[in-house]
Amino acid sequence: MKHPITLNVNGTPYSVDVATAQSLLYAVRDQLGLTGSKEGCDDSECGACMMLVDGRPTNSCSYLAVQADGAEITTVEGLGEGDELSPLQQVFLEEGGVQCGFCTPGMLIAATALLQANPSPTAEEIRIGVSGNLCRCTGYDGIVRAVLRVSREGASV
Amino acid sequence: MTRLVKTVTEMEGRFEEKWVLVEDDGLVSWEAEAALRHVGHPTPRLTGPQRVSGAARYTVDVALPGMLHAAVLRSPVAHGRVTALQVAAAEAIAGVRAVLTPASELGFQQRSGPLHDEPLYAGAPLAVVAADTLAAAREACRALAPSIEPLPFTVDIETAWQEQRFDGDLHEEARGDVEAALAAAAVRVELVVSTPGQLQTPIEPHAAVAWWKPDELVCFIATQGMFDARAELAKRFDLPPERVRVITEYVGGGFGGKQNAGFEALIAAELSRRTGRPVRLVLDRHGEQLDGGCRPATRQTVRLGATADGMLTAIDAEALVEFGMSGWRAVTTPALTLYRCADVRGIEANLRLELRRGNAFRAPAVMEGITALEQAIDELAIETGLDPLELRRRNFADRDQSADLPYTSNSLLWCYDRAAELAGWPDRDRWREPQADGLLRGMGCAAQIWWGGGGPPSHASCRLGGDGVAQVVVGVQDIGTGTLTAARMVAAEELGLPLDRVTVRGGDTAPAIYGPVAGGSQTTPSVMPAVRGAAAAVRRKLLALAGDVFEAEPDDLVVDDGRIRSRDGGLDEPYTAVTAKLGQASIDGSGNRGPNPDGYRANTFGCQIARVAVDPGTGSVRVEGIWAAHDIGRVINPLGASSQVEGGILQGMAYALSEQRVIDRTTGVPVNATMDDYKVPTMMDTPPIVVAFAPLPDTLLNTVGAKGLGEPPIIPTAAAIANAFRHATGRRAAALPLTRARVLEAIA
Repeated sequence: MKHPITLNVNGTPYSVDVATAQSLLYAVRDQLGLTGSKEGCDDSECGACMMLVDGRPTNSCSYLAVQADGAEITTVEGLGEGDELSPLQQVFLEEGGVQCGFCTPGMLIAATALLQANPSPTAEEIRIGVSGNLCRCTGYDGIVRAVLRVSREGASV
Repeated sequence: MTRLVKTVTEMEGRFEEKWVLVEDDGLVSWEAEAALRHVGHPTPRLTGPQRVSGAARYTVDVALPGMLHAAVLRSPVAHGRVTALQVAAAEAIAGVRAVLTPASELGFQQRSGPLHDEPLYAGAPLAVVAADTLAAAREACRALAPSIEPLPFTVDIETAWQEQRFDGDLHEEARGDVEAALAAAAVRVELVVSTPGQLQTPIEPHAAVAWWKPDELVCFIATQGMFDARAELAKRFDLPPERVRVITEYVGGGFGGKQNAGFEALIAAELSRRTGRPVRLVLDRHGEQLDGGCRPATRQTVRLGATADGMLTAIDAEALVEFGMSGWRAVTTPALTLYRCADVRGIEANLRLELRRGNAFRAPAVMEGITALEQAIDELAIETGLDPLELRRRNFADRDQSADLPYTSNSLLWCYDRAAELAGWPDRDRWREPQADGLLRGMGCAAQIWWGGGGPPSHASCRLGGDGVAQVVVGVQDIGTGTLTAARMVAAEELGLPLDRVTVRGGDTAPAIYGPVAGGSQTTPSVMPAVRGAAAAVRRKLLALAGDVFEAEPDDLVVDDGRIRSRDGGLDEPYTAVTAKLGQASIDGSGNRGPNPDGYRANTFGCQIARVAVDPGTGSVRVEGIWAAHDIGRVINPLGASSQVEGGILQGMAYALSEQRVIDRTTGVPVNATMDDYKVPTMMDTPPIVVAFAPLPDTLLNTVGAKGLGEPPIIPTAAAIANAFRHATGRRAAALPLTRARVLEAIA
């Protein structure tokens, strides 16, 4: 059975028909063609698929598309302004928080949610806040440094 | 001048003499003191903006018109015989376009078929389905409902050893008389160590998208070696290599496990050949953890003999390997090479079990060997009463002990000193004093040896257009290590251009510019000299043209910061003063990696020190710091290099503390083949890591002075942690990882 829903992704409303069991991740990746969000585990273990759903960090692999009907969704593609990277995206690069980049979309979303809830986190609070996102390449330190730097520089995320 | 020369090449310790084409580029290696504008300075990655914006297209993101999705049916048992598959039921599912079973006639040849009617490990592929949607493909896999007659299996090393289930012959390498030397030794140490099976666990699983077109097979593959992948596809399908194109724009981590075309690309290509439509095959996480590969578990025995003042007189290392790579023996290599010793023996037995055969995982075999050897060396330090670093210094080998050849460079002694200085090693015993928080603390060290010299063949091209922008093409994909960024830095250095006026393309075999597989820490020392050579060829041509334009002697001209200058300062013009006159023409150059120097061995070295805190109540072990000093020759990009070291250390730490493929011995099935149960470190587990690199380029090895870095940082971490645990508790666990149960048992 298909359900007509509206997904507001990065400020643009999309009308799509989705199957009941369709995950939000696959609706956004396959039907909208926004492939920045990744599937790493399909089981809420790695965080590579993370999106903001009405501001809440959400593992979109384990969230039904029909649940997101009408919600405001932010993916990694929506963090910057056009070709301009957000301050968080920029410092991820400068602090060496990115290697292969596959976990990065989810990391950025988790860090964005953290900074919105707590604009001045300690390193420990960052580690707790982003511990649901796995990275296999970096040692995570570059990611922690990047989030700390953005919060200290007071840039809006 | 173009020549064919014979040179010795090496890949993960396998040496081969071969003919290579060499165009002499006349370059000499940059000296240690050379003032370089880009190389050696921290530089964000070239493709960074794509990676942080979601624009980077990984293999799993490739979507082609009419593309089908494939799913794999895997064996639920360790060993069995498939007596029936409900193929008609699977084919009846709406949207199913092809079903492959062991009975299918395949369009490619493989020694042992990709699909199994007698699976020899849990997770072995039994059948594959391609359908319009992934959901339909998965439903059809379930509908295949295999009937399987279970057969006996062996999944533990001990039983396989007792049953003498060898895979290939025992491998023995020796010099001198180790038994006599052990018998005569003043001090003897014997240690038995078990190491775990470790899964690569890239966040992007194995994946391929294949499109069998009338004139060309195009495959997008998440692979570390796109040219190896092309060669494998061409050979298996009996196609000319130029009719196979492999595209690998981005790879979400490999760590050794993504070699060649692999099962995914071969099967996707076959499904595409049959259906006439593009096919995407991506392993699901369970499939990845069952069948993506692993570092095989080992059980090792190390016996050392020494004089009373700690000079090694005998090293005897034995390793039982849990179904490792066929014909690949290197667990005992560190025992044969790391220390100066005349009487040495290494024996390895690869055991055949009903487990997924091991494949390459970052520093394959050598990491396992170091983990045992360096714990035994630590025991010898305790036995002789010597400082563990002092013991290592005394036994320093300034030549390759196996080949009896000098090294192109070796800064291991510097690494010992630097790691000690950074970690506060001389005061390490103060950590053993009673601690206010009741934890037991200690510090341990371990040394590292690996190859990583690279070699030919490796090629690059460089093209300078009218806009004064240089485009470099290399034959490698960037699996996250920053290869393309390093290539940009090297080319910009040689061309005297700002970074933003150099672009680098890789990840596509179509330009037919060959590069090596990203393995064995060979990419940087192989590819960067080729890039420098190509850029130098362009620079020379540019200066010759500048001589025409400015009526100057080309030898009097230099390039710097995007400008062409005369040595006497009289001329200072932008690049474009020459290139704008090119019209649609371009200045082209090619470069290649030169031969390795005759009569040398090229190796990387390092030392890491770990500090741990052990909770004697709960058995938890926390790493409180790692200090790492590595000799990798010249560091091209310190930003990327530090990140590589940190990531390697984290994987090494996990090998010591949490990661382990757990097999249920009653069923033969891995029980933790998920990311939840297989314990990859999280951000909460990361210790502070301090990294230092020896400031000595390897000017003998190649024209950029760099050795490789992929493998080295993972190698000594686990041994350093185990030695720190010994220092903290006075006990040594017989097996890694140091789970709470093992810790409590060890300190009871």
